[in-house]
Amino acid sequence: MLDGYSSDEFPPLNGNGTSTCGNFAVAILLYLDNELKGRELEEFRAHVDTCAHCQAQLKAEEGLSRLLQRTRPLYSMPPDVRARVSAAVAQNSAELPAADAYSQATLPSVRRLRPGIGWRLPHVRVLVPALLAIAVCLALVPNIARQVEAASYTQTAVAAHRNYLSGSLPLGIQTGSPQVVTAWFAGKVPFDFRLPAGDAVPESEPVYKLTGAALVTYKTRPAALVTYESKTGKISLLVASSDSAVVAGGDQVHFDKLTFHYRTDAGYRVITWSNHGLSYALVSSVSGPAGASCMVCHQDMTNHGRSQDPSSSK
Amino acid sequence: MRLEPGEGHPQPGFDFSEYLDGLYGYALILTRNSADAEDLLQETCLRALRAIGRLRSESNVKSWLFTILRNIWLNQLRHRKTTPEMVDLDADDHGANDPPDPSKDPHAIYVSELEREQVRAAIEQLPVEFREIIILREYEELSYQEIAAVLECPPGTVMSRLARARAKLRELLPTVAAAPHSPEKDKHGNNEAVA
Repeated sequence: MLDGYSSDEFPPLNGNGTSTCGNFAVAILLYLDNELKGRELEEFRAHVDTCAHCQAQLKAEEGLSRLLQRTRPLYSMPPDVRARVSAAVAQNSAELPAADAYSQATLPSVRRLRPGIGWRLPHVRVLVPALLAIAVCLALVPNIARQVEAASYTQTAVAAHRNYLSGSLPLGIQTGSPQVVTAWFAGKVPFDFRLPAGDAVPESEPVYKLTGAALVTYKTRPAALVTYESKTGKISLLVASSDSAVVAGGDQVHFDKLTFHYRTDAGYRVITWSNHGLSYALVSSVSGPAGASCMVCHQDMTNHGRSQDPSSSK
Repeated sequence: MRLEPGEGHPQPGFDFSEYLDGLYGYALILTRNSADAEDLLQETCLRALRAIGRLRSESNVKSWLFTILRNIWLNQLRHRKTTPEMVDLDADDHGANDPPDPSKDPHAIYVSELEREQVRAAIEQLPVEFREIIILREYEELSYQEIAAVLECPPGTVMSRLARARAKLRELLPTVAAAPHSPEKDKHGNNEAVA
């Protein structure tokens, strides 16, 4: 008997003049759920053994249970619906007050993360040893998980840059003003993001000019994408919280208190670094020395070389 | 960005993306319209995001989400003018999108999908109170207590309603439910015939 149920809601199992086969349906459900114990189970079995009608009903219910289990899951969200729901939630989440939007609730991901309840994992006998092997490798090889995470951030930055180049990533705002971009991101991203006001050499033409920005997501969390143009190419800067975006690997250059990671990915130059809780990924096709990309924020480097931390503008 | 003083602390690492498929199926069962189901699901997610900080740590997140969804649906029903119910469930659009199990032969895959379509069609013929209880119990595997909380009725009522729903479903699926499944083996290890 399940706790919390009153006797008038739960028909008695045995026949004390109050139970009929018609009330047996609920008892069958409890039997199929393995909820019948002790005396109730004995009485149930005794009744089934002597009642052809209830035997048939039990068999029919067992067949239905098998069928329903075989047909799990009954519905699955189409990918386009999932994408629309995720996008709508992400957009609305950025507009919610801070206390609501940036609780630790994770926005629904576009990707299906794992099968839902009732789904059967195929090849469990293969999957479990494989997972154990992967776990052992991760435990024995230091930093491999961190490298994988960093590669994910780099690849995401490159993908965003490609979309920017192809025109398939619409800018949320088009402006050449760092102050306007900074103000635009306020309240949209869960971190304090500010572009440097610009330290271009006075009375000289900027090497790169700011063109705009877009609100994107990384691992379901809002992130900032800032875009630049020059005569020779385009540059994009992805900024995300270090809670979700890991920076590691590549050729490392230490400058002041920062470590810059240089790498080439899919033909693009990528420089990543983290500072004050934010992770940055600068993507470009700029040829020449790696420091050339730094001039998106530090125009004076054309004359003085690498001079200051690009992300130290506070 | 910080929580206001006095705000309840949200559960760490809360991620309801794993519940989306189940919520979507429940929304489809309630609305019987894919567009309405999508809207209902979106609204549920947004409401849940706003309220997550007030969720007690011991709360069952899944039943909480299903309760939100149902309450929104009920409110929509109350405010909606009477219109003809538009049934827009195309099994091809809402069928499970799992990749085929390579351990199954094509015939078995076909039979599985056929069964799924038959069950969906049968469930969709049930009254809404039967449809939702079948989904919540048989597919989402909520406990009787959890279903009682979602439906705001006693657990005993849940069980009796489920029994009636299953009886009605068996009437609509007389051959599919009764026949043993092929090509799984029966208890004697023999291949069972297709119904």
